[in-house]
Amino acid sequence: MAEEIRIGVFVCDCGSNIAGYLKVSELAEYAKTLPNVVYVKENLYTCSESGINEIKAAVKEQDLNRVVVASCTPRTHEPLFRETCAEGGLNPYLFEMVNIRDQCSWVHMQEKEEGTAKAKDLIRMGVAKASLLQPQEPIESPMDPRAMVIGGGISGMTSALALANRGYQVTLVEKAAELGGLLLQLDKIGPANADAASVAEKHAQQVQGHPKIKTLTATKIDAINGYIGNFKVTTSTNGVQEEFGVGVIVVATGARVLKPVGLFNYDGEKVITQLELESLFKKGAFNAKNVVMIQCVGARNEERKYCSRICCMVAIKNAIAIKERSPDTGVHILYRDIQAYGTENEELYQYAKQLGVRFLKYDQAKPPKVEEGRVTVYHHLLGRDLELPVDLVVLSTPLIAGEDNETISRLLRVSLDENKFFLEGHVKLKPLDFANDGIYLCGNAHYPATVREAISQALGAASRASIPLSRDVMTVEPIVSTLVDEDACRGCGLCVALCPYGALEIVRTEKGRKVKVIPVACKGCGVCAATCYQHALTINSYTDEQIGQQIEAFLETGTEG
Amino acid sequence: MQYTTDVRIIRLMCTGRVDPPMLADAFMKGADGVMVVGCHFGDCHYITGNYQGKIKVGLASRTLDYVGLNPRRVSFSQCSSAEGERFVNMVSAFDQTIRELGPLGNAERVALPELKDKLAIAKTVLSREKIRWVVGKFTEFTTTGNKYGERFTEHEMWRTLDTIIMDEVATYEILRELENAPASAKEMAAKLKLPPPHVLKYVLALQRRGFVGLAEIDGTSPRYQIVDPMAKEEAA
Repeated sequence: MAEEIRIGVFVCDCGSNIAGYLKVSELAEYAKTLPNVVYVKENLYTCSESGINEIKAAVKEQDLNRVVVASCTPRTHEPLFRETCAEGGLNPYLFEMVNIRDQCSWVHMQEKEEGTAKAKDLIRMGVAKASLLQPQEPIESPMDPRAMVIGGGISGMTSALALANRGYQVTLVEKAAELGGLLLQLDKIGPANADAASVAEKHAQQVQGHPKIKTLTATKIDAINGYIGNFKVTTSTNGVQEEFGVGVIVVATGARVLKPVGLFNYDGEKVITQLELESLFKKGAFNAKNVVMIQCVGARNEERKYCSRICCMVAIKNAIAIKERSPDTGVHILYRDIQAYGTENEELYQYAKQLGVRFLKYDQAKPPKVEEGRVTVYHHLLGRDLELPVDLVVLSTPLIAGEDNETISRLLRVSLDENKFFLEGHVKLKPLDFANDGIYLCGNAHYPATVREAISQALGAASRASIPLSRDVMTVEPIVSTLVDEDACRGCGLCVALCPYGALEIVRTEKGRKVKVIPVACKGCGVCAATCYQHALTINSYTDEQIGQQIEAFLETGTEG
Repeated sequence: MQYTTDVRIIRLMCTGRVDPPMLADAFMKGADGVMVVGCHFGDCHYITGNYQGKIKVGLASRTLDYVGLNPRRVSFSQCSSAEGERFVNMVSAFDQTIRELGPLGNAERVALPELKDKLAIAKTVLSREKIRWVVGKFTEFTTTGNKYGERFTEHEMWRTLDTIIMDEVATYEILRELENAPASAKEMAAKLKLPPPHVLKYVLALQRRGFVGLAEIDGTSPRYQIVDPMAKEEAA
């Protein structure tokens, strides 16, 4: 390599976050001794305006061609520092980040010496990798400015409307015969007591009357191929297939209510679910003198560990509805913990108590017993069983993942969580995006949500989706697979079969069958590179050589620290 | 939330990026333990990458075990980015294991200089076509089956891979011996602590593939040498 490697290392104090627990000046001094390092600077906050300016200035003045920042997590700050490098005139992929906060100062707070020694190792490893980094160019591909929304519930309809109102063509796909989703089965929506059916109907009318929205009901999706900007979707409606292209996809497939078959003598008549209670309200058929509601039925147990979040509020809403209809009806809510977050919901909880709704905490180990005419529950303060007269038992069951989630996740090549809900790209940083570009997520498809939350998420997802839609050309991260040794490739297809994203294909070239990477579809997981027996593929910025150098740099000084 | 200062984290996009020779490499360079930490199954950020990661780490671990490394030095663990405490517990437990084993060579069947030679052979084996083909087909063969629709259990796949590890390690050890000087099957068998008929089987296989040829006949035992320049490269 003819180029002289000139690395600048910036060590961040992060105020006292790092400097309080590590000897940062010693780290900076140490960095100066590393191969190819020509410039080292300690910053109070590298990510601050002044820190950023120091990087930019140093790139120019010191003629740096690699930058290493030793600070916090690349998850939050790598984009910023890459941008800084670019503004300083350096290819942003000649940047390497070393995490001495999460990996040193935060987890070795009592061990300043050892923590500092470890930070030195990490910086040495980062510098070693940086020396081998190669410039990368962002990958560009044309953008189809149309969207598909999967699911015609409140989330899907809201998302479709938001996108269509921005001027984008939207295809809304719903598997049921009519739009509305779960709302069609609900009575009122808390906390404002809006009528669920009319909310659904209002949205459905807007959707169906919108010139930019094409609604496909009673439709299932057969295939989705492609990647951001260029998805090809095949649907079938009553056996008629249709094919169309879209640039982005919003997943709003909703969830189902668990039917508590076999639990608490559920029979759908004397022992019903909250959903069935609401349909009694709607029909005006509610008539009971003593109601007992049981929370967490089939939830927060071994089989379903998660909390469905909304059931407490549903129970409170329906308890109030009962009391307002028939003040003399006794209502008991047997709960394990009450989840009534947010101002209005907490107020409703208090209001329910004022109306005379009785809240009784039960122990999971001693669940209530439902028998003809009575419910027995162990009262943990009294230390004995209580017998409650009852003519209607209402079970609060969780929302569970949609039955099609696995199919859809396979079609889209996106992940599900352990409960089969769709998994977002990052809990905090990408809550409405999938890890895959161009696919977004909202509402119950992700996790049980109130209507209000579903609407906010739907608007958010539409907003996220419109970022790429507004561009003619899509750019994606070039940390992807590349065929570095075309001659070595035998076109065997071993990698193609294992690619989780369909980002590899075999093509005929002058040199015979060769693999071709579709960079916009590739997410850079590296399965192909780790599989290829000819070592013809690698991952940009994660090559065998770069990883090998990191290992080498760690172990070269033996086992000190 | 605190843990040992003795771990260094190398960031990869996914455990699916873990290439088996990397593990051999880390031990050759002196690591006392390698933990590969990825997402939970069904919760993979890269959909199925962690399944591949587990298979690859499994292969590396078996190969390294076969050449003499204590397999407890390799761990495939899973935790989500939201499970800090779980991560700390895993790292601490692994640290404890490594402390019990002591430095590399301490808890191994072979002493350090020889172990490093063996690790180099393992790294070669893990980089080569044969084993990578089979491990690359692992998922296909255990889920959808091969071209004839035959489906294999994971146990069958691992047994096959174990056999390949044995064959490949012997083959590359023989190539390395012949790289130094021509030798007879008997001489190599003594050195590699393998039964002479086995060594002869591998030598004849190499001869059929054109890598090895007859050098001389010493009394009644033939000595072999490397004939194909490609094979010299392979042995390197």
